[in-house]
Amino acid sequence: MRNPANLVGGVGSGQPISLLESVSIHFSYENGYKVFENINISVGQDKFVGIVGPSGIGKSTLLRIMGGFLAPDSGATYLMGKKITKPTPKVVFVHQSIITFPWMTALENVMLSPRSMKVPQSEAEIVAMKALEDVGLQGFEELYPKEMSGGMRQRVAIARALAANPMVLLMDEPFSHLDELTAEGLRQDIYNILFRVDTPLKGVVLVSHNLTEVLELADEIYILNNIPATVVGKLVVDIPRPRSIRNPKFSEYLDFLYTKLSPPGGKKNE
Amino acid sequence: MNEDLIIFLSVLATAGRVLGLVLLSIVTGWFLSYGAIKGKIFENIFISISEVFESVPVISFFPVVLILFITRIGGPLGVELAADFLVFTAVVWNIWIAEYQAFKTIPREMVEVGENYRLGFFSILRNIYIPFSIPRIVANLFPSVSDGFFYITVSEVFTIGVTTFQTFGIGTEMQALIAAGNTNGIILAFVFLAFVIMVIIFFLRSFSKHAVAKYTVDTDTPVIRRGRFSFKNTTRRLSSTAATPFTRLSKYYRRRNPSVKNEMFEPERSGVNYSRYILATIGLVILAIILYSSTLLVLSVSDGEWSRLLALTPQIIIGLLYDYSRVAVVIAVTFVISITLGYYLAINSRAESVGVPLIQVLTAFPAPVYFPFVYVAFYPDFHAVFGPLTSEFFVIALAFISTFYYLFYSFWMGVKAMPSEYQELMKNLNMGFFSKMRRVIIPSTFPYLIAGISSTINSTWGGLMIGEYWPSIYGSRTLQVSNGLMRFIDINTRSGNLGAAAWASFVFGIVVVVFSIFFTRRMMDLARKRYVAEEGVFAA
Repeated sequence: MRNPANLVGGVGSGQPISLLESVSIHFSYENGYKVFENINISVGQDKFVGIVGPSGIGKSTLLRIMGGFLAPDSGATYLMGKKITKPTPKVVFVHQSIITFPWMTALENVMLSPRSMKVPQSEAEIVAMKALEDVGLQGFEELYPKEMSGGMRQRVAIARALAANPMVLLMDEPFSHLDELTAEGLRQDIYNILFRVDTPLKGVVLVSHNLTEVLELADEIYILNNIPATVVGKLVVDIPRPRSIRNPKFSEYLDFLYTKLSPPGGKKNE
Repeated sequence: MNEDLIIFLSVLATAGRVLGLVLLSIVTGWFLSYGAIKGKIFENIFISISEVFESVPVISFFPVVLILFITRIGGPLGVELAADFLVFTAVVWNIWIAEYQAFKTIPREMVEVGENYRLGFFSILRNIYIPFSIPRIVANLFPSVSDGFFYITVSEVFTIGVTTFQTFGIGTEMQALIAAGNTNGIILAFVFLAFVIMVIIFFLRSFSKHAVAKYTVDTDTPVIRRGRFSFKNTTRRLSSTAATPFTRLSKYYRRRNPSVKNEMFEPERSGVNYSRYILATIGLVILAIILYSSTLLVLSVSDGEWSRLLALTPQIIIGLLYDYSRVAVVIAVTFVISITLGYYLAINSRAESVGVPLIQVLTAFPAPVYFPFVYVAFYPDFHAVFGPLTSEFFVIALAFISTFYYLFYSFWMGVKAMPSEYQELMKNLNMGFFSKMRRVIIPSTFPYLIAGISSTINSTWGGLMIGEYWPSIYGSRTLQVSNGLMRFIDINTRSGNLGAAAWASFVFGIVVVVFSIFFTRRMMDLARKRYVAEEGVFAA
């Protein structure tokens, strides 16, 4: 198959300091099973980065390492050149399962972020209202999660993440529990919501097994494969937005991803 | 016979009683619960009785037990049955309700498989219902065994008037050793008891792991270790094998189902169902027996006696107010300890691996056996601090020791059952301890807290019953407080005035049931309605 010009076989180097950068990540389970070997991922300013890989390869685990929730065996993740040693509101994690608190209204759920950063009640409310408005939930502030659809709940979770004023958003399959129509609607909104000029958000990392979804959203895609997992390729998606799956380049990229994601044939763990 | 051997056998006898009665509760519960899901009338009677009795503290059965077993049956058999009955009432309700809840929530698909293959009564029970109920039973075993040991040691020997009734066991043996001033024997009894309890806890923990591995059918969200994160526990891949089984078990611990939906029930069948009529008849017969016995009892009391009993009521109410104040203190202290120590253990797996088994052993170690020694050893020190309130302090301390594990376990398990994503989110937002507690942890453990507080209140009465009037706690010393309903019941029981004791127990029972209806149930309803953490996690 022809290799498109902007497909890169490995992680590039010699670029300016990244917004978020994971360098030489090695990680294994306690029983010795190696999960990652020398993973390098770089998220540039204003970039939407996708990570794809076969099921069970460790995509969510990698996201947790990038967020400081897990410590790698070796290697580190840096935010603007500063090592991340523990979770921080500057890098907010959006879970695969949509996480809301059933005893709080939508507004209270979102206010949790500013309130935990000691923002005064009235100011926190303004921030939360704004975040809810950004995700299209104005008028639903007083609803409880139980009274909302899955798509609305996910918007609440995203609003809460945005209300923390993060620099980076780590999204772990955020649309996987939504029906296709809702997911598509949210996908269309998400890029615009995330990269509005008035937010401090500078980068997003999206983990997904849905290749179309990643191609639709990401500027760059890291492809994980093999056992232990390594970055087997990086794809710079050069399709203008809004992207259409009918664009010939889209199919080309998709084919490339499928090729790279063929069953792992790497080294076997002991 | 060799004295050491007698002591060891007495420990075994006590442990045998507790375990035997727990087993009896489990087995009877299976049949009763099956009956309950098959017949609506039987279900209503069974559940109503169980829920009322569960909310009535064990000690309120005491005078009834004495009347039934000591005066009616009498002899060694009567004493044995009295002790057994008291322990049975301490352990049975938790287990029965847990089994009933398990049977009610069994997935319809499982039942359909049984029906598909036309499994018979015993076969469907053995292959589907019983295995499905095991995790819930196991989750309730630790507090039940602790409760059983607590009550068995005081049930083995008791005094009415000038007569002391006793049956062979460590409770009786310990009292004899104290009376004889046999220090070596006392130490040996403690060692044997500690050994046997440790073996039982070890067995229960091993069985819990086995039960979780084998009988849980839930699909787990990733189980992530709280506190300092470790890769092992934060990966979906290893979640089912690496995480502590108690995390998964916590989902079954005293969970009240938020109004179980009809589709979860055994589907209604068409045609004549004779078993339903049989079960309904059994339920009605049980109800009739209870009503008949109550009527007979009421009629057997003379008018003069009624007047005397009614005149005692204000005194009983005042005693009850005193005791509720003590209960409030116990709950407050327990709550603080639970949300600090319980939380620390729940998020710190290293501390948990040592702390929880230790607490399980300590709580199963019956307080009435060692408390006299604590009392004698520390009385001067505490007297220097508390002065005239020293007895009050010791009584509350005994009640606390005898009961704190309910709330502690409940909260600990509630934290373990919290969606792991909540923990990650709290970390992500750098939330402080009080902020976490107030906004996330206490609300998300609310159903567990209410269940724990309810059980703690019920069990506190047991400690108060023993402590408020404890003659000859050590030698000639008597532990007693100036006022309290439990003291009233104690003194009247010991002086042979069973009528007054039974009346006080009855009044007490009414208050407890009213409290349960107007407070506990309302709080549980609120918890079901608003504080079910799992409902905040969409499609986990």
